[in-house]
Amino acid sequence: MIAILIAVTGKGGTGKTLVSAMLVLHLCKKGSLLAVDADPDSNLPEAFGVEVERTLGDIREIFQSSRDEIKGDKEIWFEAKIFEVVKELDNFDLLVMGRPEGEGCYCYTNNILRAILKKFMRHYDFVVVDCEAGLEHFSRKTIAGVNYLIVVSDTSRKGLRTAERISELMEELNINARKGLIGNKVIDKRSENLIREFAENSGFKFLGSLPYDEKVVECEMMGKSVVDLMKTNCSFVREFEKIVKNLESWVVLCQS
Amino acid sequence: MAERKKVEIPENVKVKVSEGEEYDFPVDISPMHEGERIRKGEMYVELAGPKQPGFELVMALPEDQVEDMKVTIVGKDLDELEEGKAHPFAMIYYVAGEKIDTDLEPIIERRNHDFQNYIEGVMHLNQRYDVWIRVGKKAVEKGLKSLATIAKAVMLLFKNEMPFIEKIEAVYATDREFVEKTLKEVAMPIYEERDARVESLHDEDVEEFYSCTLCQSFAPSDVCIISPDRPSLCGAITWFDGRAAARVDPEGPNKAVPKGEIIDPIGGEYSGVNEFAKNESGGVTERIKLHSFLEYPHPSCGCFEVIGFYMPEVDGIGWIHRGYPEPAPNGLTFSTMAGQTGGGKQVVGFLGIGISYFRSKKFIQADGGWYRVVWMPKELKQKVLQYIPEDMRDKIATEEDAKTMEELKEFLKRVDHPVVKGVVRPVDGKKITEGWLEEKEEETEEEVEEEKVEQQPTQPMEFMQLSQLQPQSLQPVIKLTIKNATIKIDKIIVKKKE
Repeated sequence: MIAILIAVTGKGGTGKTLVSAMLVLHLCKKGSLLAVDADPDSNLPEAFGVEVERTLGDIREIFQSSRDEIKGDKEIWFEAKIFEVVKELDNFDLLVMGRPEGEGCYCYTNNILRAILKKFMRHYDFVVVDCEAGLEHFSRKTIAGVNYLIVVSDTSRKGLRTAERISELMEELNINARKGLIGNKVIDKRSENLIREFAENSGFKFLGSLPYDEKVVECEMMGKSVVDLMKTNCSFVREFEKIVKNLESWVVLCQS
Repeated sequence: MAERKKVEIPENVKVKVSEGEEYDFPVDISPMHEGERIRKGEMYVELAGPKQPGFELVMALPEDQVEDMKVTIVGKDLDELEEGKAHPFAMIYYVAGEKIDTDLEPIIERRNHDFQNYIEGVMHLNQRYDVWIRVGKKAVEKGLKSLATIAKAVMLLFKNEMPFIEKIEAVYATDREFVEKTLKEVAMPIYEERDARVESLHDEDVEEFYSCTLCQSFAPSDVCIISPDRPSLCGAITWFDGRAAARVDPEGPNKAVPKGEIIDPIGGEYSGVNEFAKNESGGVTERIKLHSFLEYPHPSCGCFEVIGFYMPEVDGIGWIHRGYPEPAPNGLTFSTMAGQTGGGKQVVGFLGIGISYFRSKKFIQADGGWYRVVWMPKELKQKVLQYIPEDMRDKIATEEDAKTMEELKEFLKRVDHPVVKGVVRPVDGKKITEGWLEEKEEETEEEVEEEKVEQQPTQPMEFMQLSQLQPQSLQPVIKLTIKNATIKIDKIIVKKKE
């Protein structure tokens, strides 16, 4: 049992959290899945219409500040607390990484955390991580072994430049993952071609593009969850199904 | 000491006994299953956990009292429990063997967590009275019908992985009254006794210390030595943690360090530690005195929670913690001193420690312990106040008493701090400092100080050479302004452009 670890990233505002959430809802039909919110700025739980009271960051802080007083074995304590903050939803589990580290030395804390998460994640068929463009959890190796890194970009120059930077960062950090690109808020053929061309020239697998859709804007404005959006069967939702198919055949191709 | 004896099995409760070894298990048993989450929907029953009482306990007993591979189940067995619900649960193991004593109980007990998790479809979390177990539906469908099967599998793993266990017997219980009563009357006193032992264990009581090289990624020559009286300087790892980690992974970042011969019982110098430090640091650190400040101090990686600094002006030691942003009376902030002290080097005059070292009975005892301490921020002082000897509590200045060296001198004179007239270290009653001398004599003392400094191959010497070199051989061609920076440099090579 080795999980397929997919990280979704991109510039803020490109819709990566929406894409992550949609991906989770599709993939969890095919096997056991862990969704990880690794972006302190985004809100993956909200996309699923749930609330998460405590995050892994909270537990890490408690561990960091009270590790002196924990009785018995600290690793076992830490692991149990992490299991407690993992939220069980109907078809998948959800882990929110939460706030970043505070001051001081996290060598020991992160060392234990790494080992626990590694043991824990390998039992899922899929792990989908919504992460910020700085890839902090990967550089600290708290989340290790990402197989597919998907960048979501809109048609703006900035969005694509972020994709380029992520590509460079991966090389620097020695992240040995396959790179995919999804275009979002694409209004016409011309801008789709622009993104496709960029992908092909920069070593990304182009997985498809998603249209700018009023329904999406409406759902976000009303604070509706992605589950509700999926029910509308709007053009965005239909196009996303194509992306999932592309992703699946890409994964099959890469695994074989 | 809490008595170790078999728990009494109540007569009015259903009891099932299973004897002898079992090898045919309906589910797979392997370390691969560690970390597997049994989700609520896939769960057959939950045992103990947040909603029900429960505990796990290992007790060392004389060999003739333990009936090897026997399991007694008190209360309902797995297939009789109501599905989908949480139930009380206790796991008690009696162990015997020539090498087994009560010291080993917690080490054996810790492995219950691992071994239960090896069983496919069984999830075990947490420890002691916080245990939380789930058994999956799939495992029950495959034929895992009795708690005795789980107990037998775990006992076999215990005997395989810890061969010093010669005999092992288990009592598993789901009967609420029995679980609650045994937890209160038998288990709790034993846990409390173990915690008390943690507090009272000293360097001289053990044969081995533990190392920590977790920080070598950024302080390559750093070696942390963790002893019962000296926890790691990041504050994270105690001797007990080190021991647990070393047993699980002997080649990992926490290795056992045999003490060897004792060289200096007051300073805390051991031949085994010196030898280890020399090897692991690549020769950078040759001698370490665990409880000394001024002589062969413990090296500092950079992770310390608190820095100690020697102030020659008052012949005393100050401490500053990471959260205190202002400069200490020596004019330096935490981060400035941290920059000087870190990197795995021994820097005489500075020492990085974890807050828990203030609790140690051997706290810098070679240099007078608390009687040499003259200053610490109020926040830190409050935190450790209970460990300060009562007669010293009012004599250690905080930022409210003194912000500068002059104010500190005044304060120390006013409260008649031991450094003023000379410190007598409590550990052996020896007078270790002369106190503040009259103006005339002060000069001679300073000379002695300087000689001492020259003997130490310390960093400031290297700095001096560099600064002397610059104006002579290099014409200034650029102006470098650095603001608000923390800089750590292992080596600077200045070469003439060819």
